[in-house]
Amino acid sequence: MSRFGRTDLPDEQATDLRKAVKIEVFTICYTTVTILVVALVLGNSQAMKTAWVEDILSLTPQVAFLVALVFVRRKPTRNFPYGLHRAMSVGHLVAGVALFVVGATLAYEAISGFLSGDHPTIGTIVLFGSSVWLGWVMVAVMALIAIGPPFYGRYKLKLAKPLHNKLLYADADMATADWHTNAASIVGVLGIGVGLWWLDSAAALFISVGIVWDGVRNTRTAILGLIDKRATTYDEKAVHPLIAEAATMLRGLPWVADAAVRMRDLGQVFHVEAYVVPVDPRTPVSAYESAARAIAALDWKVQDTDVIPVSVLPPEADPGFGREAGRGSRAGASGAGPAAASERGSDASAGATSDRLKGER
Amino acid sequence: MPLAIGIVLGLAGCGLQVPADPNGTLERVSDGTLRAGASPDRSLIEVRGDEVSGAEADVVEAFASSLDARVEWTVGSEEQLVTGLEEGDLDLVVGGITDETPWIDRAGVTRGFADMPGADGRNVVMLVPLGENRFLSTLETFLDEELG
Repeated sequence: MSRFGRTDLPDEQATDLRKAVKIEVFTICYTTVTILVVALVLGNSQAMKTAWVEDILSLTPQVAFLVALVFVRRKPTRNFPYGLHRAMSVGHLVAGVALFVVGATLAYEAISGFLSGDHPTIGTIVLFGSSVWLGWVMVAVMALIAIGPPFYGRYKLKLAKPLHNKLLYADADMATADWHTNAASIVGVLGIGVGLWWLDSAAALFISVGIVWDGVRNTRTAILGLIDKRATTYDEKAVHPLIAEAATMLRGLPWVADAAVRMRDLGQVFHVEAYVVPVDPRTPVSAYESAARAIAALDWKVQDTDVIPVSVLPPEADPGFGREAGRGSRAGASGAGPAAASERGSDASAGATSDRLKGER
Repeated sequence: MPLAIGIVLGLAGCGLQVPADPNGTLERVSDGTLRAGASPDRSLIEVRGDEVSGAEADVVEAFASSLDARVEWTVGSEEQLVTGLEEGDLDLVVGGITDETPWIDRAGVTRGFADMPGADGRNVVMLVPLGENRFLSTLETFLDEELG
């Protein structure tokens, strides 16, 4: 449990990962119960049906996370030299595509139901010996099951950051917005109740558009990761600050004239190719090795690091400053000045855990 | 979204009855005519000329009189009668139809009632126009009391 591939997780991440697994298992149990309960009161409302299918779909990120975790933890081998970190992105892609396809199907059903003027029929059920309109039961059930997701969603959001897990982040994000679905299905059912039959189709369309949008966002994030976009923060909002930190630290080494890095996100850990132009071409191999160890010491996520000597930096490698890298990131502002970095680099060893390793910047 | 719920609840509070009939079936039937369709069934619906009788027909007559309405029978095949429901020519269709009915997409279906006299263990349902939820709920509540 305490490792991702070749990376031994720091204590905080190991603890958070255990918490993440527990909350994902809990979510699956909770959602399974809600799926069963909603199935009992489903009736003829398209909004209820759409919300129910969304509930079922919302299991995919959790299942993908737990399944991927089995693979992600394996050490790299000759056969899989980068480890199996991409399993998480593959799971993410599958979840995204599933959301998109099913969401689009549900949107189509909602629109065609509206166009053909389907009047949803909801009768009564016998509850405690008297006939009750099933719509009231639907409203009660949807209101009741809306309580859970915002709580576990926020909890997962807190875990997604230190674990740098985009699948967990997407899952958390969807859970915190889940009450929209419940509220919409309640509006749809109450609409049927007062005789506004089209409100049901409208609510179903609202919910399915939300599912399609989740699908688009998740598919996009997963694909960007799989085609090796430059590493970003877990929420995709900024270039990952480790890029600037690594480049700045390398430039601070006395034997390095210039440096730039290519950093890609394998899932929850990065693969780093650091290009350095040495001042003296006869710089010993040990200097490159210790530079690689110094980068690895920056953060638990950058254990897979290659330092490559070049005479000219490749243009696509990121020097970690300027317009391209600095946008939105806190490049250079994290206290990793050249002097401090080289000092730390000189005595750092691979996998060393210092306070700076804890948490993601 | 909470606003939308509030508006709908507000409408419900201001005298709108929940559930309602978008096409006002219950209101039209009450103190008027219940246009019922019947399809013959060996133990539930007997058709002789223009006369419709049998255990299920009796239940429909009782339902109509609970609404102070009289029954106007139409006899036909199930498809003819379901089309009648869809086109607004009928309010109710009976004839030994069970909860396994394939008409689920074209008609509102009541819960199954196994206690119907002559049902022989079948879960007998009645068909109403789609989405006429007040009428459907009133019918189901009546059947619960009559047959329960």
